[in-house]
Amino acid sequence: MKGDGVTAKRNAFHPVDRARDWWADAPQWQRYTVYLAAIVFALILPAPWIGSFMSPESDWTTVLFYPIGTYILLAVGLNIVVGQAGMLDLGFVAFFAIGGYTLAYFGTKHGLTFWATLVMGIVLAAVSGVILGAPTLRLRGDYLAIVTLGFGEIVRITANNTDEIGGARGITNVPHPEPLFGMEFLLDPAPYYYLIVAAIALVIVFSVRLHKSRVGRAWAAIREDEDAAELMGVPTFKFKLLAFAIGAMIGGLAGAIYASKAIFIEPNSFPFILSATILAAVVLGGAGNLPGVILGAFVIAWLPERFRFLAEYRILLFGAVLVLMMALRPEGLLPSRQRKAELHEGTGGMGTLAAEVPGPDSDDTSAEVGSK
Amino acid sequence: MLLEVKDINVHYGKIAALKGISIEVNEGEIVSLIGANGAGKTTTLKTISGLRPLSSGQILFDGEDISKTPGHKRVQLGIGQSPEGRGVFPGMTVQENLLMGAYTRKGDLSGDLEEVYELFPRLNERKTQFGGTMSGGEQQMIAIGRALMTKPKVLLLDEPSMGLAPMLIAQIFTIIKEINSRGTTVLLVEQNAQQALKLSDRAYVLETGRVVKSAPGVELLNDPGVRAAYLGGELGH
Repeated sequence: MKGDGVTAKRNAFHPVDRARDWWADAPQWQRYTVYLAAIVFALILPAPWIGSFMSPESDWTTVLFYPIGTYILLAVGLNIVVGQAGMLDLGFVAFFAIGGYTLAYFGTKHGLTFWATLVMGIVLAAVSGVILGAPTLRLRGDYLAIVTLGFGEIVRITANNTDEIGGARGITNVPHPEPLFGMEFLLDPAPYYYLIVAAIALVIVFSVRLHKSRVGRAWAAIREDEDAAELMGVPTFKFKLLAFAIGAMIGGLAGAIYASKAIFIEPNSFPFILSATILAAVVLGGAGNLPGVILGAFVIAWLPERFRFLAEYRILLFGAVLVLMMALRPEGLLPSRQRKAELHEGTGGMGTLAAEVPGPDSDDTSAEVGSK
Repeated sequence: MLLEVKDINVHYGKIAALKGISIEVNEGEIVSLIGANGAGKTTTLKTISGLRPLSSGQILFDGEDISKTPGHKRVQLGIGQSPEGRGVFPGMTVQENLLMGAYTRKGDLSGDLEEVYELFPRLNERKTQFGGTMSGGEQQMIAIGRALMTKPKVLLLDEPSMGLAPMLIAQIFTIIKEINSRGTTVLLVEQNAQQALKLSDRAYVLETGRVVKSAPGVELLNDPGVRAAYLGGELGH
């Protein structure tokens, strides 16, 4: 569908747009050079000379794993739900928790290996995504947001009150992953960092493939106008459920990796504020546009670490920065062109939240046509 | 008979929007539903295309009961709709919008695209432009073109003239006539009763969820009751 000059190319003067146009037409070898550069960049990122500037107060590699890497992984997952399918999910942390608890529970009580529990965490997260989605995805916009918000809390409170998984005390002595390629997963954060980089790379490839497929096209249609999508023959409910399940899987993956490093998890490791933070990362970066979402997650995770010397004031500053950025760039740091056009129209902004409300530009049609 | 709506009731919560509406559409016809705001015209179309569930009654298409068929499957059976308010995908280009209409079909679509562009040369000129940046009339063309891309046996049009300048309305109605003459049955919902009735083989007048009158289009044009209610009374032509 893309190519043939059918995709819009406008405002090609802006450097970001120019880069996008170049990328769209770049030959294979140039693309692979960029991929290779990205991988090399990720590998040298933990270097101390970078860390001394990026994170002077705390261990840079640890910060790169959590919050930065973990937030990026979660944001890429949430982006499928919010950015691609256009559903507002305020309880994404639930899947993070389910992945983490699955790994911790089956690792400590049943002695299963890291990889087995990782897969179980992903599957269980997907199943819970379907269980939550099946009855609730007929709701739209803010109603769905409230239900997902509730789900996030239900998971946390259930964990808090279930003695089998440690109750409020949580689970201690969560096993580390087994050695891999000669890397020992112990207290050194570097191997965990490489593990999460691998997971992020995998999830990005998966997400890009989906975006370009028929599934991605269906999600775009649902996000922009759900009724119209159904009228085009898109099984909207099925695809919304799929987006929910895939987002949940990625959340579960992130949770399992997180728990394997953390040694100790408890219900309060998975607060509502984490859902809100990841959502902020997606929106701030530019929902629907993967490079933007990754940048957004990086900024959200990194800023509070960088300004740790401001002590308690850093959160105040962080909030001010968020407000400022959303006021100056409401479509996000790096929005996709498609998303910009949607926002301009006044639909699809936060998925279906705003879809029923026509924008200021959508009703001046008679005047516009009359003047021609 | 291509489409038969039998005594359907539709509720929004506890409020009845349709109270036993029956409509028949024969192959090759243009049939209009006219009536005031809230008469149930749009709800009727949405129920036929599967966007609203019905509380009772039956919808038959090509002799098959589709009352319980989900909306996306009705598209494949041959029910295409241009929805109320156009429903253009704002972040997709004109061509991407049209191709969404062919979402369920595989194979070469260039012939079908060609046909839509021939009906709407304006869209051909602007195929790389985002749907959301098009004018109201152009968006209406996208909505109709996109519905045609589903290869419908019956085309449901919900207020294609809404918000358009008179000259453009005339153009849209000419195109509807053209689409019909090429073999697509049309079920039209309009507030612009005058134009709709002139075009239609038959028409139904809806009032608060009921059919109050049905007759050939020309006959309704001259019906004193209809003239008074929907055509500006004696001030009309």
